[in-house]
Amino acid sequence: MPAIQRLSEVVTEIEDSIRNRFSGRTFWIQAEIADVKKYTDKKWCFLKFTEKSGNLIVTELKGVFWSNTYAAITNFEQATGQVFASGLEITCQVRVKFHQRYGLNLEVIDIDYAYAVGKLEMERKLIIDQLLREQVIVQDESSGRYFSNNNRLPLPLLFQRIALITAPDSDGQRDFQKVIRNNKYGFAFSVTEFLSQIQGDTASRMILERLSQVQAAQSKFDIVVIARGGGSDTDFKSFNDYELAKAVAGFPLPVLTGIGHDRNTSITDLVARQMRTPTEVATFILEHHMSLDREVDELKKRLYRAADLRIERAKNMLEAYQQRINNLSPATILKKGFAILSIDGKIVTNPDLIAVNATIQATLKNVVIESTVTKKNENENER
Amino acid sequence: MKDKISYSTAFANLQDVVRQIENEEIQLDTLAEKVKEANELINFCESKLRTIAGEVGEAKA
Repeated sequence: MPAIQRLSEVVTEIEDSIRNRFSGRTFWIQAEIADVKKYTDKKWCFLKFTEKSGNLIVTELKGVFWSNTYAAITNFEQATGQVFASGLEITCQVRVKFHQRYGLNLEVIDIDYAYAVGKLEMERKLIIDQLLREQVIVQDESSGRYFSNNNRLPLPLLFQRIALITAPDSDGQRDFQKVIRNNKYGFAFSVTEFLSQIQGDTASRMILERLSQVQAAQSKFDIVVIARGGGSDTDFKSFNDYELAKAVAGFPLPVLTGIGHDRNTSITDLVARQMRTPTEVATFILEHHMSLDREVDELKKRLYRAADLRIERAKNMLEAYQQRINNLSPATILKKGFAILSIDGKIVTNPDLIAVNATIQATLKNVVIESTVTKKNENENER
Repeated sequence: MKDKISYSTAFANLQDVVRQIENEEIQLDTLAEKVKEANELINFCESKLRTIAGEVGEAKA
């Protein structure tokens, strides 16, 4: 009978060997991650590192982030705009640890974001190049901006009937609806929601499906809004999808995107009209209607001003005629000291009709003087 | 009135009437009529922004 040892004795020996060999050493490795389980409250993350030959996993080892390095995951997500999740290939610094109960683990010390960012950038560039090659988009040489059929579509005059593609019960949905619903100007909007997963592997397919539903009812909508809201949410890989970008680029209604990312512009954003957040898209729509309303208000003011002016002018003109008529009236003439001569109530303008000894009336401003003509002489001044 | 006309037509007509009044191209006799027409266009535009024509589901004219 050989000597029997307790499990712990053997395991301790393994532990010692590993510690002797690996203590104080770190390694940079590049591997695909799988079975990622995050415990955000404790700031732990368990995963597996794998290496494949074709589709076959040939090497696999457990890995772990403890709370002192958990921030690397958050930083990674912010830097790359994608969720730290199974299927990613990452480059990271690890040390080898052995635990008597939990076995062999690679403890992650740091992640190289640059590698992941570079890889994403390359994927993105490949898609953009393909879209350029297929003339789905063109790049403006001076501004560097990309133009698609969609973002060159003229905007409709009214954006009242909105097709909203968003995730159910999401911040994006709430933020957008809040601004649209709470407009204090009483503008009417009809928002039809096309709910979709907006992140994760199947998201681009689902958004594509929603787009084709909108297209089938195209005449019922003025614009399409794709809204994805905030929080710590960083996965917008689905918006860097070739098929989705192509569909948006050729979509017959203007597409406004608010997919909530400050630093990154997804390819879907490039081919549509990009705004930063769902709130910004809603505000843009609201402000457009406000400016229309202001234009009408401005015309209203001009109308009343012009009509008043027109009437005022006509009045002034009437008054001017009135004045001229007044100036010519007998009353005005009498005021100036002239008199009207009449005989038997008939005005006399021909002096030949006035005989010496005739009784004539001279009408002045306030009195009528009756008198008898005693003498008639020629008017020297008028000779 | 004018259920069939679009916002852009109404707005363009409104601009036109206001311009005509401003440029005194309108006879005084017809001024009241034109102001009334402009007022109707204003009401049309203002209410168009506040109601959805035909609701969603009906083809846009």
